Parts: sequence; C-alpha cells; structure tokens
Amino acid sequence: MSSTHRFVRLGVAALVLVSMAACTEQPATEQAQQTHRLFYIILALAIFVSVVVEGALLWAIVRYRRRPGDDEEPPQREGTTRMIIAFFLFGTVIVAALFPFGEVALGNIEQNPTPIVTIDVTGSQWQWSAVYSNEGVVVSGKTFVRPLVMEVPVDEPVRINLVSNDVMHEFFVPAFYFMRNALPGHPNVFTWTPTRIGTYRGQCAEFCGLGHYQMRFIVKVVNPTDYQAWVQKERKSILKINCPPAAGNNLELTAHNISWNTNCLAITAGQSASITVHNLDAGIDHNFAIWNSLDTTHQYFAIPKFSGVATHSANLPQEVSQLKPGKYYFQCNVHGPSMSGVFIVEPAGSGQGGG
Amino acid sequence: MAVVKAPTLARPEPFRSRILDWLTTTDHKKIGILYFFNSLGFFAIGGILALLLRTELARPGTQFLSPHAYNQVFTEHGTLMIFLFVFPMLAGFGNFLVPLQIGALDMAFPRINALSFWLLPVGGLTILSGFLVKGGAGASGWTGFAPLSVQGGSGMDLWDLGLLIVGTSSLLGAINFLVTIVRMRAPGMTMMRIPVFCWAVLATSLLAVLAIPVFTAALLMLLAERHLGTVFFDASHGGSPLIWQHAFWFFGHPEVYMLILIAWGIVSEVIPVFSGKPLYGYRGVVLSFLMVTALSFTVWAHHMFATGAVELPFFSITTELISLPTGVLFFMWLGTMWKGKLRFEPPMLFAIGFIAMFLIGGIDGVWMASPAMDFAIHDTYWVVAHIHYVLFGGTVFGIMAGMYYWFPKVTGRFLSRRLGIWQFWIQLIGFNLTFFPMHVLGLRGMPRRIADYLPNEGWTGLNTLATIGAYVIAVSIALFFINVFVSLRKPRDAPDDAWGAGNSLEWATTSPPPAHNFDVMPEVRSGRPVYDMRMHARAQGGGSTP
Amino acid sequence: MSATELFTDERAVRGTSSPVMGMVLFVAGEALFFAALFGAYFSVRTSASVWPPKSIGVPELAVPSVLTVLLVTSSVVLQIGVAAVRSGRIDSFRNLLGLTILLGLCFLALQAYDYSQLTFGIRDGIYPSLFYVMTGLHMAHVAGGVVLLSLVMGQTTTGQISLQRHEPVEAATIYWHFVDIVWLGLFTAFYLSVR
Repeated sequence: MSSTHRFVRLGVAALVLVSMAACTEQPATEQAQQTHRLFYIILALAIFVSVVVEGALLWAIVRYRRRPGDDEEPPQREGTTRMIIAFFLFGTVIVAALFPFGEVALGNIEQNPTPIVTIDVTGSQWQWSAVYSNEGVVVSGKTFVRPLVMEVPVDEPVRINLVSNDVMHEFFVPAFYFMRNALPGHPNVFTWTPTRIGTYRGQCAEFCGLGHYQMRFIVKVVNPTDYQAWVQKERKSILKINCPPAAGNNLELTAHNISWNTNCLAITAGQSASITVHNLDAGIDHNFAIWNSLDTTHQYFAIPKFSGVATHSANLPQEVSQLKPGKYYFQCNVHGPSMSGVFIVEPAGSGQGGG
Repeated sequence: MAVVKAPTLARPEPFRSRILDWLTTTDHKKIGILYFFNSLGFFAIGGILALLLRTELARPGTQFLSPHAYNQVFTEHGTLMIFLFVFPMLAGFGNFLVPLQIGALDMAFPRINALSFWLLPVGGLTILSGFLVKGGAGASGWTGFAPLSVQGGSGMDLWDLGLLIVGTSSLLGAINFLVTIVRMRAPGMTMMRIPVFCWAVLATSLLAVLAIPVFTAALLMLLAERHLGTVFFDASHGGSPLIWQHAFWFFGHPEVYMLILIAWGIVSEVIPVFSGKPLYGYRGVVLSFLMVTALSFTVWAHHMFATGAVELPFFSITTELISLPTGVLFFMWLGTMWKGKLRFEPPMLFAIGFIAMFLIGGIDGVWMASPAMDFAIHDTYWVVAHIHYVLFGGTVFGIMAGMYYWFPKVTGRFLSRRLGIWQFWIQLIGFNLTFFPMHVLGLRGMPRRIADYLPNEGWTGLNTLATIGAYVIAVSIALFFINVFVSLRKPRDAPDDAWGAGNSLEWATTSPPPAHNFDVMPEVRSGRPVYDMRMHARAQGGGSTP
Repeated sequence: MSATELFTDERAVRGTSSPVMGMVLFVAGEALFFAALFGAYFSVRTSASVWPPKSIGVPELAVPSVLTVLLVTSSVVLQIGVAAVRSGRIDSFRNLLGLTILLGLCFLALQAYDYSQLTFGIRDGIYPSLFYVMTGLHMAHVAGGVVLLSLVMGQTTTGQISLQRHEPVEAATIYWHFVDIVWLGLFTAFYLSVR
C-alpha cells in the first residue's frame, strides 16, 4: 500500500516543482533576465540531483525492505575508500558545473553601464524617498500612509545610489530579481535597465522594526515621453510651492509621524529671523536644516538633532537672512527628502501676504 | 521530637529528596533527561509562537497580533527554537549517550556539566521574561541586527543577557564533551571506533567552542552600545552595522551546522541498525563531519551578499564546496540501506524522512549560494523555506528518529509504534504543506518577517495553505507528547539491546542503565562491540536463544 | 567490580590532564572572543582616515609600558613557580604564586589609575568605544585570573597541591599566560602601532 503512496508522493513533488518554475515572475530588466536564466539552470541541476538521490532512496525502500520471516543477515559491507572518493568526485563535478554559470550571471548583473538617469534612494524608518538631483525632482513615501512612487524610463540604464538614514533596509523589486541593502554610512550603487513597461511593486526586505511590513514602494517603467512628462509635472509641483513670509519672520514648524506640517517656509530677506521646531514624535530624532537646493551640496544652517517630544528654537544666522531672494530647500537631515520642503526668501518690501 | 513524629514526616521526604536529587545531580544520564525536559518545554512554547505567526499570516490584514506583537513573536520563536530547543536537545542526547557509547562512567567534569544545564532554563526564562516588561520582548529577529537592536526597550536587554547566559552554558557543555570524548574512552575504544554519533558531538563541540565566543563578544558590544554610549554600529561616528553582521554570522553559520551535525549523527546511528548493516563508509562520514566543521568557518558572509560589502566569489565557492561533504553523507546513508534488510520502525521512518527532506533543504540552499540568484531571493520566504527544510525537515526529523530510537534505553519503555507511524506521516505531510509553498512565496517576492501583506499581492492562497500545514504539524507534535505521556505509564519491558540489532555500547547495558552505567564492561575490539557480542553469543549458544 | 577497576586504571593514565585540556579549549574560545574584538578594531581602523582620531591624540606610553612590564613579569614568575611545582618544591611555588597575584593586583590598580588620567570618555566616538570595551574586557579577564590564581593559592596553602597532583596549577597558568598575550596585543594595537 505505502509503496504506491510513495510514487504518488514523488509525482506530486514533481508537479509542484514544475508549477513552482511557472511561478517565477516575468523578469523586467536586462539584469533580471540573467538571474531568471540562472534560476532555471540551477533548477535543472537540482532536479537531476533530486531524482538521483530521492530515486535511489525510493528504490532502497521498495527493493530492500525486510520480508517477514527473513532472519538472514545481509552482507556486512562497510564501503571502500574508492567509493568514498567517487562520491566526493560526484559532488565536485556538480559544483564545478554550477559555479561558472553563477559567476557569468553575476558579472553581467554587475556591469554598470553609463546611466541615463541617476537616482539617490534613501531608506528610513519606515519609508523610501528618491531624489533625481539632475532633474530637480524629489518623491517620497509617507510612513503608514502611502508608498513612494518613482518612475524610470524604459530601455535606459538607471543608476541607483542607495543609502539608509537609520537602520538597515533593503530595496527589493521582485520583478527586477534584485535587492540590495540600504546601509547607513555605506552607499551601495547598482544599475537597472528596465525592459518592460509596467508598474512593479517593491518592498523593504530587511527587517527594520515596527513599520517594516508596510515599507512599500512602486516603480513605474514608462516610455521616455511619459517619463519626461512625469519629470516636468513633479518639478512643477515643487516649483509651484509657494507661501507667504512668516509673521515677524518667526518661522514655526512641527514634526509629527515623521513628516512636517508644511512643505513650505518663507522669510523676508534682510530682516532677522527665527525658527521654532516642535518635535511631537516621542523618542525619534529630528533636526532642521536649510540647504542650497535639492542636490544638498551646501548647507547654510542646521539645528542639532533632538529627540521628541520637545521644542527647539534658534535665530537664523545672517547668512540665511541675507540670502539672495529665491527658492531654497529645507529638510530634516535625519529623514532626508521624506521630510523636506521649499525654503523661500522673499525680496524685502515685496508686500506681505503675496502668495 | 523528630523521633516521635518520624512516621508522619517520613512520607513526604522521599519525594522531596527525589526532587533535591534531580536538582543536584551530576549523573550525566539524569542531566541528559533534564535537557530533554527543558528542550521539549521550549519546543512547545516555540511551537505555540509559530502557530500564532501562521494564524496571523493566514489572511491579509492584522487579525490576531499587532505588528509590534508579531515582531516580538517571530523574534522569540527563532531564538527559542534555535538556542533553547534544538541545541539543548542535542546536548541532551550527547549527555545521555556519549559516556555510554564510549564506555565511560560519566562526563569529564560532572559538576560543570550540571552548571551548563542549569544555566539554560535561567537564560531561556530571561529571554522569555521580555514579554512581561514595558515595550515587550526583543523584536529584532533572532539575528538581532544592529543598529535596529540598539533601539527597543528592556526586552532587548533581556534577550541579550539571556543569550549571554545560554552561550556560556553551550560553551561549557562543548568543552566538557570534547574532553570526555578525547580522554574518557574505554580500553580498546580508539578514536576510529567511537560511534559516529560521538564524532558528530565532537565536531559540534569544536564549532561551539570556536564560534560562540565571537557571538558573546558581539552581544557584549551590543550591551555597551545600548547602555554605555559606544558607537560600534553607528556609521555616523565611524562604526559600522557590518561589524555586528560579520561577528554574528561568523558565529551564526557554524551555529546552524551545529544544529544539523548532531542530527546527521543520530541518523547515521539509526539507519545501520534498521538496515542490519554497518554504517557504510564510516571514514567517509567522519571525514565529511570534519570537512564541514572546517569549511563552516569560511562561509559566513554568504548571508551578507546583499549588503554589497563582501567578497562575492570567495564566499560563493566556499558555500558550494560545503555541498561536497554533505553530498557524500547522502551516499553513505543510501549505501548503508543498499542491499540491507530494512525494518520500518518509527526511528527508521523518521530517519528516511530526514534524508528526503534534508535533501530538499540542501538543494534549495544552492540557489542562494550563487550571489546573482541570492539577490533575487535573499530575505524572502525562500529563506524561510530553506531554513525550515534544514532545521525542521532535517534536524527535527533527526531528533524524532533519536527520540524513538533511544527512548527504550532512557526509560526502559518503547514509545508506541502505532502512534509513531501516525506521527511520522502527519508530520511529513504537515511539514511539506507548510514549508514547500514558501519557496513559491519567496519567488513571488514575499519578504520574510512581515507582519502583514496586501490582498492583491497574490500571496493569500499559499499563506493559507502554509497555515493549515502548521496546524497539521501541531497535531503530529501533540501525538508525540501523548505518546511520551502514555508510554511512560507502561511497565518497563525494553531489553538491553532494545532493537535487537544495536551496534554501540549503550545497548550492552540495561535499559535504563544503572547509575554506574555498566555492570560488566564489554570488550571493545571493533567499532561495533554490541554486534560482536551478538555474534559471539550466537556462535556459542547456537540455536538456544528462543 | 572489575569494570570499575578497569576504569580507574584507564583514568589514571588518561585522566590526569583533563583539566589542562579543558583549559586549553576554554582559552581557544577566549582567543576567538578577543579575535572578534580585534577584528572590529582593525575593520574600523582601516576605514578611518586618521588613527587615532585627531580629538583623541596619540596616547602616552609611560603607564602602559609599566603595565606591560608588570604583566610579562608576572607570567615569567608564574612559569618559574610551575617549574618549582613540577620538581616538588611546593613552598617555593607558593611564594612565587603570591608574587604573581600581587603583580596582577598592581596591574589592575595601575590601569584603574590610567583610566582616571584619560582625557576622553567612552561616549566620545569609535576610538574610545573600542579602547574602553577592549581594555575593560581584558581587565575583567585579569581580575578573573587573579581570582583563579587565588583559588589555586587556597588549594596550595591547604596542602591540596603536590608533585603528584598539580593540574589546577597547570590550568591556571595557561589562562594567565593567555591574558598576558592578549595584553601584548592590546598594547600593540592601542599604543605601539599608532606612533
């Protein structure tokens, strides 16, 4: 009875293996195609080894079961050195066959062609943000509220500079067959070349605490025209941001649930100004910093990071209040672009409440 | 006064002194039994935690556990299963069997042996007590990756302290095993004659001695980071989170080999007995154990491919090389069964289940050994499937084989054969139902350690299936506990050589063995002294045995 | 019972050095423990541009040199003591053991003094983190070694150490030499190699 059972089991196992193979996602980048192929190469070897070993096991179970009443002792063979060496060789051949395939795929994935688009992606507890500094675009998710949505053009190499603000995260897009840790203080660089237009889900894969399970993001692969349109739209939405200078040039800003209460701060040039930051996030560090622009190459001013719930006030230095009228950039340096906004210096006497 | 009341006082005393006896014993057999109790207790707790996890994941949405609770539960599930169920279980087998198998009176350091045991429940309860404190238990996974593990409340400290205690226990135990095996063998019991199980204990102990202190160092750094203001793992001050990972995995990978090695040892004892043959290629098995021991210190960074900060080809090739000695073991087990006369008693069923399942666990690891492929499935449910095929399909099936095999030696009673066969089939089905679908979930991009997922991800059906499987496993484990409970109430009826085909010395003494282990020490002239005794008796007595 | 006698014989031959073997294994584990810390030290150091960091400065050499002399001397003294025990001169061993313990205590006192003179605290960055944790854990090992040697001292004064039975002496000596070697590593890492 149980021998037929076992054959059924083997059949089921084979079926599951095949259906598992069908379960792989369609690869959506050039790099993913390499990995996808590698998966099937290993699968072929795996099936071969499984059939040999599980088959031998099954054979032994069926063929060498003790018949009732058979009390004769089987031959007491202990195995020869030659056989032991042969078994080692069997494994060596498999590994020698396998290793080069892996290395070739790896070499292809790790080629970093000259990118058309470069994106700085930052993970923080618990959202992603992406800065396209050449295009002047910043997009970000909002913890527990909405995922990051980023667009990339099809058929172009996209370079990702990946870093974390706090603990380890992992930037993972299943259809791209790729994940990479976002490490604090140790940027990782890699390239995707998406080949299929579509919307792909991604998610943090390295456990990072309470909000890990919902630290999702979306990558939209679009054609170049759509991509340009998206960039223009995002850029405009940043340029469009506007607000009147604060009364008495006394700015006030509140951090709550790892986001600011506003994405726009404005002062009047030439007058002394101050900032008060309320941090309502218990146990979480925030700071406030004013930068030249999205590319964050020059920082004009920053208050030290402090933990909530607390309030911190400071006068803005001359360097800031004397800035040429125009649009600048502010953010919490701990959380980066996901807590950022436009810092506007209005020319003096341009009229209050203009906006 | 004592004289007058003596008759009334006399009653409770034997019981109290029996308790005291267990609390203060230095007898390796009693300590081994204490290890079994400890392990089965934590196995039950860890199993209940696993059911909570699976129940939560059965459907999308958070129904039973809040994300914070979920994170605590999966952390404690992993920690308890690895550090307080599997490893101590193996230490239990080692304690009970090693002195018997090498013909010794006891372990080399009986009092240190008792200390190693008693540290365990202390450490385990310290970790568990995290559930009672504000902020809950440690919730950084059993891997405790810094800097995440620097966050979190005092539950994290309890996790850290508990593991320091458990680590000390394992280290002392390992030293004890090594000295015992090297120095306490009976006359004639040369190193190449000791049972292969003892080789497994030796290899495991070597790994423990060299690996656990590295983890201890990491845990102490973590404590300093949390309370003294050091910055080892803080990249903004010159430290690096990779310091934790390197230290943890330098320990962690040998650790998983410790967990599987003793299962290999158990299975290598069981299969010959129920095949009626000697172990095929004893030297090959020993060589494989030692190769795995050596290689396991060169593979740790294969857990870190995705950090982008390790030498990929080196750690890839060492990882694939480990499949050579492992592969040889399969051929040795099959070679042992080949042309034998197989008896499908419960220990043999579990040993065969072990071979079949551990093979899958070995093979699905090959995908991850290739860095390019690892980038696609690392930290997904593929890893969860892999670790459970190795540690459940492998180690737990091996432990069950050992349980059914040596239960008559430990207690003098057989576990029920019927219940054993039922347990085996239910466990095999439940196990595959739970963990096979996780391969597919991994390929579909479901990350591990997530408290919840969306209904539109396409993961729901397989998760529900896995949850059903988990309950099936629970039934099989319940059958095991029932079997132990019922069997312990039966009269003692196990003969010395309980399966009638034993090879190693534990089968030469009574079941259970006397306090001094052997009334008469048999001569050791080969690696199968009890087989020799049987042959001798048969030659002497002819057909006189009934 | 013949079986038991057989065992006793066997143990008389092999069992003598069990404590020594146990200690060798323990020290092997301890070596890996410190290797992990040194691994952290060197991985940080190789990625740092200036070492030690400017804010810390190059440490003074005077007190650590005295510490080194104290510990190395203590190891030599103890080894002479072991030679004494091996030739049965227990009284001489007791005196040398006493001197070793004294040198160990001096080491601890002087290092505590050295700590009090430092200009940086444990919270002041990665160098102080490594410095305090590594030397602190070593100090704990020295203290443990002093306790171990004191236990041996107790056994010696109560007559439990003899030419025939002196494994505790051998075992404790292995540990003490190990602690000494670790200090030489620390001395090189934190003082000598940064000049």
